[in-house]
Amino acid sequence: MNQKGIIISARMSRFWQYLLAFILVTATTAIFFLLRSALDTTLIALLYLIPLGVITALWGLGPGITGALLTFLTFNYFFIEPYYTFMVHRPADVVVLVVFLIVAVVISQLVAQAQAGLAAATAREREATQLYEISTALTGLHDDHSIAQILAKQVYAVSQGEYVELSITGTEPFVFHLPEISPPTRASELIIPIQAPRGVLGEIRLWRAASAIMPSEKRLFQTFASQAALALERAWFAQAESRAQILEESDRLKSAILSSVSHELRTPLSTIKAAASSLRGKEVNWDSPARAELVAAIDDEADHLNILVGNLLDMSRIESGALQPKREWNILSEIVGSVLARMKHLAEAHQIEMDVPESLPLVPVDYVQIEQVFTNLVSNGLKYAPVNTIVCIQAQVEGESIHVQVSNQGPQVPPEHLERIFDKFYRITAADRVTGTGLGLSICKGIIEAHGGRIWAENLPNGLAFNFTLPLTWDGAKSLQLPMDTESE
Amino acid sequence: MSNAPHILVIDDEPQILRALRTILTEKGFKVTTASRGEEGLTFAAASEPDLIILDLGLPDMNGVEVCTRLREWTQNPIIILSVRDSERDKVAALDQGADDYLTKPFGIEELLARVRVALRHSVHASEAQNKIVKAGPLAIDLVWHIVKRGDEEIKLTGTEYKLLAYLASNHGRVLTHQSILTHVWGPADADHTEYLRVYMRQLRKKLEADPERPQYILTEPGIGYRFIADE
Repeated sequence: MNQKGIIISARMSRFWQYLLAFILVTATTAIFFLLRSALDTTLIALLYLIPLGVITALWGLGPGITGALLTFLTFNYFFIEPYYTFMVHRPADVVVLVVFLIVAVVISQLVAQAQAGLAAATAREREATQLYEISTALTGLHDDHSIAQILAKQVYAVSQGEYVELSITGTEPFVFHLPEISPPTRASELIIPIQAPRGVLGEIRLWRAASAIMPSEKRLFQTFASQAALALERAWFAQAESRAQILEESDRLKSAILSSVSHELRTPLSTIKAAASSLRGKEVNWDSPARAELVAAIDDEADHLNILVGNLLDMSRIESGALQPKREWNILSEIVGSVLARMKHLAEAHQIEMDVPESLPLVPVDYVQIEQVFTNLVSNGLKYAPVNTIVCIQAQVEGESIHVQVSNQGPQVPPEHLERIFDKFYRITAADRVTGTGLGLSICKGIIEAHGGRIWAENLPNGLAFNFTLPLTWDGAKSLQLPMDTESE
Repeated sequence: MSNAPHILVIDDEPQILRALRTILTEKGFKVTTASRGEEGLTFAAASEPDLIILDLGLPDMNGVEVCTRLREWTQNPIIILSVRDSERDKVAALDQGADDYLTKPFGIEELLARVRVALRHSVHASEAQNKIVKAGPLAIDLVWHIVKRGDEEIKLTGTEYKLLAYLASNHGRVLTHQSILTHVWGPADADHTEYLRVYMRQLRKKLEADPERPQYILTEPGIGYRFIADE
């Protein structure tokens, strides 16, 4: 329906109101006319007030006043002598007529006012309900998108418009609209800015051609907008607060890193410095056995420092998400074998059992990184488990992945710590008892997760086990079919 | 001193240059140092060193590029130095013609072993190849295609032999996955590391005493393989 049509229909209904008022007055007049002989003039005047009240109550002030004037005329014409003229003979009838007119008009006005008051009260109540609904819906929301969604839904429902579009500025601007269709090509009928104390946060655009937007509606939508603005501000403050908390947390962590790292770095450095300076000085004889010991200490501690620095680099790479596994099809037993060969001199006091069948399928992993995982898990076992106990490495296929377990006969971990031991710098034992930065396990976790696997710790009846899984598929593909090689020499 | 091999060291860290110059001179080499890529290229062109030790992390240009430019005119061995976790760069430099690599920090025996192997290969490149490569009880006859452990002959398939022959004729040197795959299977299969894994396992089973802890066919994590023969 277009704009013109609406106006015509409004006029039509207006016309009908007046017509109905006219008909009601005529009908009443006809009834009174039939009963004229039985009714007193003043009683008729009194009874005439009934249809007038009805007209005003039903159709408003205009038809009411018109009805009053009409009644005034018919009353005069049909019921005041001389009949069928507009003349009045008796002075008392003049008083009746004047009083009737005044009372009729006043009643019309009073009823109309009451009516309008009622309508306004209803509208206010509806508005209050809608405001209540939107503000309760917005309470407790902490993200821009759901706030925008609630606001758009409310505006769309209340306005009964054809299209609502919300654009929210801020750190990540976005647009939300209802319904899920492309917007009308014409300009929107209404634009309301979402205004907060610190500036405009966005705007509401409403398309509604069916009926003009009333000032009261506009006011309502403005109130919606300011409610939404408050909610957005609240959400942004909450976000800022949680960011601040994270920063504070990472700050604390950094100080922890620094103090742990500088302690850990200084220990090997002190050894190197002491050994090198005594070799340089004249204290140690050139051919004494102490010399060889000092040289070995320098060599070992330099390796230790190198591992420490490597762990720190790995950790920062995992933290920044830069740890990209360079996957290749690998044989797990080969990786484990090379780790054990390299750790042989560290594992002299323990027994290492390896049950990684050669028949396992190839795994798509980064050789160097998975080697690192095994190194960290095994050296963890060697560090914490008592001497002459067994460190065991097992692997088997479970569905679409490989399940690896590295277990040791060392002390168990209280169940509540089992998950936290993979956190950075998390140590359950006193830090002085065993050296290390507390990074080994969190590096394992970072690497395994970067490979799409899972890592967890569990207590065994006589020790502790680290488990991890590695997917056997790579981009959905399993290990390729190998070329047959049947010829032989 | 025309007999002393001449080594050019290109590295931007003065401490490393100082240490290498001291140690290599002590071991009887003639040593020149350069701290930048361009400088290194100029020195190399002017003096034609027998061996170049090149750091991949130079301030003025990428070490891989230095390697490429050197290879445009000289086949003399290049040993690259790099830090841990830069496998990609190492592999790139090796595929660009570098002969071997060392990860910092490295032990000096390791460096000297690499230098010896590289110099030997550069001498042998111009002469006839070593006919028989010996590694412990193993003897690989590259002319007659016979592999023996002691007196017992080891049966190898065609591909296994090709693989072993390539490793053995480059003994002591690191060979990248790509170069082995290209050489043994052909350029079309250069990405199929899984072939290599499986054949290496078979080969180790036939040659090594303990295939999980190999003594002769060593894995260079993330890079390739190295065959260790008797000196």
